[in-house]
This record gives sequence, C-alpha cells and structure tokens, in this order.
Amino acid sequence: MDGKVIVITSGKGGVGKTTATACIGAALALENRQVAVVDMDIGLRNLDGGMGLENRIVFNVVDAAKGKCKIKQAAIKDRRIENLYLIPASQSDNKDALTPDIMVRLCKELRKEFDYVLLDCPAGIERGFENSVAPADEAVVVCTPEVSSVRDADRVIALLYARSITPRLIVNRIVPEMVENGDMLSHEDVVDVLSVELLGLVPLDNQVVISTNTGAPLVLQKDSEAGQSFRRIALRMEGQDIPIEIPQAQKSFWKKLGIIIGIGK
Amino acid sequence: MLNRWLKKLIGKSDSRGVAKKRLQFALVYDKLEVSDEVLIKLHQDIVDVISRYFEIDKESLKLDIRKSEGRSALIVNTPILSARRIYPSVKASA
Ligand SMILES: Nc1ncnc2c1ncn2[C@@H]1O[C@H](COP(=O)(O)OP(=O)(O)OP(=O)(O)O)[C@@H](O)[C@H]1O
Ligand SMILES: [Mg+2]
Repeated sequence: MDGKVIVITSGKGGVGKTTATACIGAALALENRQVAVVDMDIGLRNLDGGMGLENRIVFNVVDAAKGKCKIKQAAIKDRRIENLYLIPASQSDNKDALTPDIMVRLCKELRKEFDYVLLDCPAGIERGFENSVAPADEAVVVCTPEVSSVRDADRVIALLYARSITPRLIVNRIVPEMVENGDMLSHEDVVDVLSVELLGLVPLDNQVVISTNTGAPLVLQKDSEAGQSFRRIALRMEGQDIPIEIPQAQKSFWKKLGIIIGIGK
Repeated sequence: MLNRWLKKLIGKSDSRGVAKKRLQFALVYDKLEVSDEVLIKLHQDIVDVISRYFEIDKESLKLDIRKSEGRSALIVNTPILSARRIYPSVKASA
C-alpha cells in the first residue's frame, strides 16, 4: 500500500513546525513505520540541524527535482532511530527551484518506499506553501496560543479547506500557569475560535531547546513533557484512540496535599 | 481558575479574555474586511436587540462569518438564558 503524505504548516513562522515534524517523524519511526521527513524550506534549511544530521548531507530535494539524483538517494538515515530518514532542503537555490508538479512527482516516488512522508512547510502562504501542500493527503496545522499565530492558522486552515484537505491542529508552547492565571489563551479558546479537530497539545518545555542544541531526539527523553506529547500525537495519527491530555501546571505542595485529602481541585 | 476570578474581582487585567475577544473580531474582520470599529458596533447593536427579547450571556455572544460557494453568511451564536416575559420598550434598553 502507498504511504501517506502529510504537510506540517502554520502560516506564522517560529511556532514549532520543524520541531513537530522532527518529533512526530521520530515517534512514528519508533512505532516501526518507515518515515521520511522532508525539509521544504529551500534556502533556509533547518530540519537537518534539529536532527543532528547536518554533516551528512550529500544530495538534497532540489537535486532530485533537477534530476541530479533519485529522491531516494537524497534520503539520509537517522543515526539513532531506525526507519527514520531525512531529505534535506538545499541551502543555495531559491524557492523557484521547486514547483507543485515536481513535488507531486517526487512524493509519488516516496510513497512507494515510506509509510509516512512528512513535509516541513516553510512559514508564509507563498510558493513554499504551495509546493508543500500540493502533494499532501493530510495536513497538520501548528499554532501557539497567541492572537497573531491563531489568526494566521485560521488563514491557512481556510486555504487547506479550499484544497479539500481537512486539517488537524496542534497547539504548541502552552504555559499552563499562564492559562490558569488568565494570561494566555487556553486550548479551548483556540479550538473554539478555529473550529477544527484537535490533534494534540504540547507544553512549553525547556528540553526542546536543549534537544535542538545537542541533536538528541526529544521523543526518546522520558522526562520531556513535549516529547511525550508528540509521541501521543503520533499514536493518534496512527489511528489509536488516545484521549488528549491537557498540560497541567506544576502543583504546589499544599495544592497537592489538598487533592490527596480531597479538598479543592 | 480561582486566580482568574480573583483578578477580575480586584480589577486586574484578564488578558486571556481580551485576547480571545480580539481574536474573534480579527477573524471576522479578516474575512469581511470591515473595520474593527464597525464590528464592535455591530456586535454591541446585536447584543442590544437580542437582549430586548431574551436574557442572554452577553460575554459569550459570537459573531462568525461562513463562506460557502461565493456567499458569505454572518452567523450570530448566543446561548439564551431565558425569554423575557415583558418586553422592555425600545428606549429603556439596559
Ligand atoms: N514546545 C516547545 N517548548 C519550548 N520551545 C519550543 C517548543 N516548540 C518549539 N520551540 C522552540 O521554538 C523555536 C522555533 O521552533 P521551530 O523551529 O520548530 O519553528 P518553525 O515553525 O519551524 O519556525 P520557521 O517558521 O522559522 O520554520 C525553536 O527554537 C524551538 O526550539
Ligand atoms: Mg521550520
């Protein structure tokens, strides 16, 4: 059976697309799926660094588009996780090096080899977005609980619907303490405003930055809340019925005690 | 949660609530391309009119724009708490 092509997009930059792509890709591979993650940010490659594979690039997606290599040859095997492959962006070409038609053709090849092809979409809704969405069967929209990010997500969701793709949403960088104090939109607020299916909630987690520094996969860290959230997201993408957990503020000693002896929540 | 109510009580900002309202206006605005001012006035007018006939939760009234086949629909969504038995006269609106 042919694999699925899934675009990970957001509209606004810096909300966690690349982080989500790397983590979900790794998590699906840990479930014994053959996974390719593709960096679609031509000229600003990123995904390679996050995965610690920046020194191994030989060919990239633009080389494959130009026929300099087969798309399979551009796939670099992950060092730590079996079944996980990265297809890097090129650093030198500009975005015009790819077209939606070429991407459809390349993804057709990739579907034969992989169960999942995850496309890390660049920010914005221009050429790079078109190239990433054209071959996609499904879409994951990432946003943070901020007005500008949700607004851009709304725009992107409308564009996806226009292409007959029903996206699912990840709300990233949630700070539970701020939500509780009324200083951050809650995931309910976001879902309410966007009316879209929720795929998962990811808290702000310092381990994310540490893991991008070291190139060590976040999803292998048991103590990383964000990493564990992404693992559950991957299971949901696999069709498992796993309830969505809401990131909780670290409870103080007295509150914990209150819960144990049954007063207050 | 408690903190949030306390804040409201002592009049400190509830930036989450403000953000949600701003966002809802922004999304309608993006689709209609009318100014924020117009939307806020429209919102207020709709609340006023409906309040004459029904007891509504003013905070949770929502304006929404749905686009389908080249047409836009303005959708007003509000929970109704109860119907008013005596309709106040137009002038005496709350
Ligand atoms: N849950 C999180 N907790 C803490 N930091 C995070 C989280 N998610 C992402 N970050 C950090 O936010 C920054 C932006 O993330 P990322 O590069 O994944 O965003 P992006 O959407 O791909 O950005 P771009 O639009 O530039 O491609 C990174 O430094 C990343 O480490
Ligand atoms: Mg990125």
